[in-house]
Amino acid sequence: MAEPARAGDVAVEMAGIAKSFGDVHALDDVTFRVAPGEVHGLLGENGAGKTTLMNVLTGLYLADRGDVALHGQHVDLRTPSDAVGHGVGMVHQHFELVQAFSALENILLGAVTATWSMDTASHRERIADLADHYGFTVDLDTRVADMEVGDQQKVEILRILYAGADILVLDEPTTHLTPAEVDHLFASVRELAAEGLAVVLIAHKLHEVFAVCDRVTVLRHGRLAGSLDVAAAAHADVVAMMMGDDATMVEARAKTCDIGEDEVLSLRGVTATGGAVDVHLHDLDLQVHRGEFVGIAGVAGNGQRELMELLAGLRPITTGRMHASGVDVTHARVDERIRAGVAVLPGDRMREGVLPASPLYETYALGRHLLHDHFSPHDLQDQARDMIARFDVRTSGPTAPTASLSGGNIQKVLVARALDVSEHAGGGAMVVMNPTSGLDVGAAAFVHDQLVRTCEAGGGVLLISEDLDELLALCDRVVVLSHGRLAGQQVAGDYDRLVLGDLMVAAHG
Amino acid sequence: MDFLLDLVDADMLRTTLVVATPLLLAALGELLLERVGLLNLAIEGMVGVGAAMGFCVVFVAGRTVPTVLLAIAAAALSAILIGVVFGWLTLHLQANQITVGLALLILGLGASSLLYRGVVGVTTTPPSIGTLPLWRIPGLSEIPYLGRVLFQHDLFVYVGLSTLLPVWWVLHRTPLGLRLRAVGESPKAVDALGLPLARLRWSALVAGCALIGIAGSFFPLSLVGGYSDDIASGRGWLALMLVIFGRWRPWTIAAGALLFAYVEALQFQFGVTSKAIPPQFLRMLPYVLAIIVLVRVYGRAQAPAALTKPYDRESRF
Repeated sequence: MAEPARAGDVAVEMAGIAKSFGDVHALDDVTFRVAPGEVHGLLGENGAGKTTLMNVLTGLYLADRGDVALHGQHVDLRTPSDAVGHGVGMVHQHFELVQAFSALENILLGAVTATWSMDTASHRERIADLADHYGFTVDLDTRVADMEVGDQQKVEILRILYAGADILVLDEPTTHLTPAEVDHLFASVRELAAEGLAVVLIAHKLHEVFAVCDRVTVLRHGRLAGSLDVAAAAHADVVAMMMGDDATMVEARAKTCDIGEDEVLSLRGVTATGGAVDVHLHDLDLQVHRGEFVGIAGVAGNGQRELMELLAGLRPITTGRMHASGVDVTHARVDERIRAGVAVLPGDRMREGVLPASPLYETYALGRHLLHDHFSPHDLQDQARDMIARFDVRTSGPTAPTASLSGGNIQKVLVARALDVSEHAGGGAMVVMNPTSGLDVGAAAFVHDQLVRTCEAGGGVLLISEDLDELLALCDRVVVLSHGRLAGQQVAGDYDRLVLGDLMVAAHG
Repeated sequence: MDFLLDLVDADMLRTTLVVATPLLLAALGELLLERVGLLNLAIEGMVGVGAAMGFCVVFVAGRTVPTVLLAIAAAALSAILIGVVFGWLTLHLQANQITVGLALLILGLGASSLLYRGVVGVTTTPPSIGTLPLWRIPGLSEIPYLGRVLFQHDLFVYVGLSTLLPVWWVLHRTPLGLRLRAVGESPKAVDALGLPLARLRWSALVAGCALIGIAGSFFPLSLVGGYSDDIASGRGWLALMLVIFGRWRPWTIAAGALLFAYVEALQFQFGVTSKAIPPQFLRMLPYVLAIIVLVRVYGRAQAPAALTKPYDRESRF
């Protein structure tokens, strides 16, 4: 198990780490140090590079530049098993457990190196001791598939500890936990640190960092924004680091149209409390007018996804009314909303936006096919060829498998598809979620330009984004979503990042 | 009352064990494959090739102890050969397991027929190689009733039925088995742990195919003493079904094999003693049972999660 912390020892030392995916600089000259016995928070918005940095540490990604040293020794981490061999273990957001196995079997799978024999009884005893010691008590004989998410997480952590890790990385571990489970987890994490383990906590929520961490490092757009001792820092310091003080990251073309009177999208008193979701939506009052660009800001997990699904028609509205361009679509199906001009650009484009193995022209036709009475594959291919030329999509042609395109080019296709839906309604509502996450600067600028154009063409845009720079650069007003409620708004010209940041985190905890 | 006594007749229970042997062997072989995520629809073809190979070796070389062992080994190897093609296409080239399995099924059935005709030629009366001699276990075989049921078989039956133990032990009592089962559930998790995914899959594939081929050689060597193209008559398919019936667990698979063998033995028994039930109906019984079992069990059964799914580490979707 973990060795006791030595004075001056550094468990993790990452220096000058750089990593690019194509044209996207995911990490640029990032330095990161964790001492043994320390809980170190890693903060930043989606796409800031937190997970990428940890994937370098756990051997999933090979850094383009930079050095990694563990306990003062240079290491070459080329595969996950290299990292495991050096005592680095990561708990991913989606646990890599075998669902059909019991907790015990999952833990043994990673820990037993023999082929023919294992002393299950003594392993079981030692695992149970470890679990008791750190408060990760679970029934070792229950199938993982039958466990609550919180217990699955305990199994995953136990597995990593039992395999001998002394550097533990937790990737947003609180996402699916109840407040009581979060408290419990944090107590266990403190216990681990007290025994000399180095714990890295990838976090989204500020109050969690202040609740459990000794130090915090903030990443912004793949760069190091700063590193602080939590005890000596104020919330405002960290918020300032996260928000940045420059608006230069996103350059948007100014809109050349005025905001009209007509509403292209409106929610009045909308509540959605159905289904097993993390966040229920309450009392939403939100209007998007013709030519208006409205942003929804908030910390991830505050109802953005639910709002997106509600607008698209995937989540029923419990009370309240929703209108699209004057038509009541409160209880309308997805296809009826598309005909009413509600165009959606989903947040998870690979999973919700495309048919990965199907030809590009079929992905492009999805949803648009509702707008015409009949079409032929030949027509669709012609339309796709035309779209490819207009938007400069890099692909071998309309029949290329959709997944063969890069993220940026896929997003171009999805933007083109949403534009068609919006234009067909004579300027409908475009609902967009994190449209530039993972895109390079050029592709992001293209997407922004098309959104501005949509407003100018008489439509309205609702941009749900975790990137405050993007929201402030583009939007006429920004509304903050917190705990499934609209917490307040600011209008272009009066933007104050700190006030928005406070609105975003205020109701937390 | 006579009717009830017939149901536990010692000869019939003895036949049950004989009939269960190839079913169990083939089903355990298929179990090994499915536990690492491979659905082997070529099983009936592999059984056929094993049968033809087993027959031909003894037919050519004569029936002595070494040639019988050679025949069994050759049967295992011929099934492994088909398995290697299956593995190369589905694991290496990521081809669809159903398509490849069905293609190799037809290849296997054709190859066994061709092999027999190539070696034996076309004859009016099919040649016989005789079946293995019974080995009455001294002492035990003298026990009334039980001795007759359990201890008057040929070696093939004893060894074949005891294969259950090592297969169960490896799969459920060793770290190797833990890894093999994990491969069938989540290749990604196994890969992420740095375990040798390909080697695990190939070793289960080779061992499983060997068992299936040996199951095929049982028919000419132990049961029939001759060969015909329909010698396996769907027992490969039954074995495939038994894996589902047994919910991918060795002991329940063995119980299923005994149940089906019992139904089959029952039909021999009633075929002899009763003229009331048409023989066609009796021959149908095991398959009717198979359909009922599949309808009742399959909906709730837990197949290995990654069964038939190709694994590509760099897959984007």
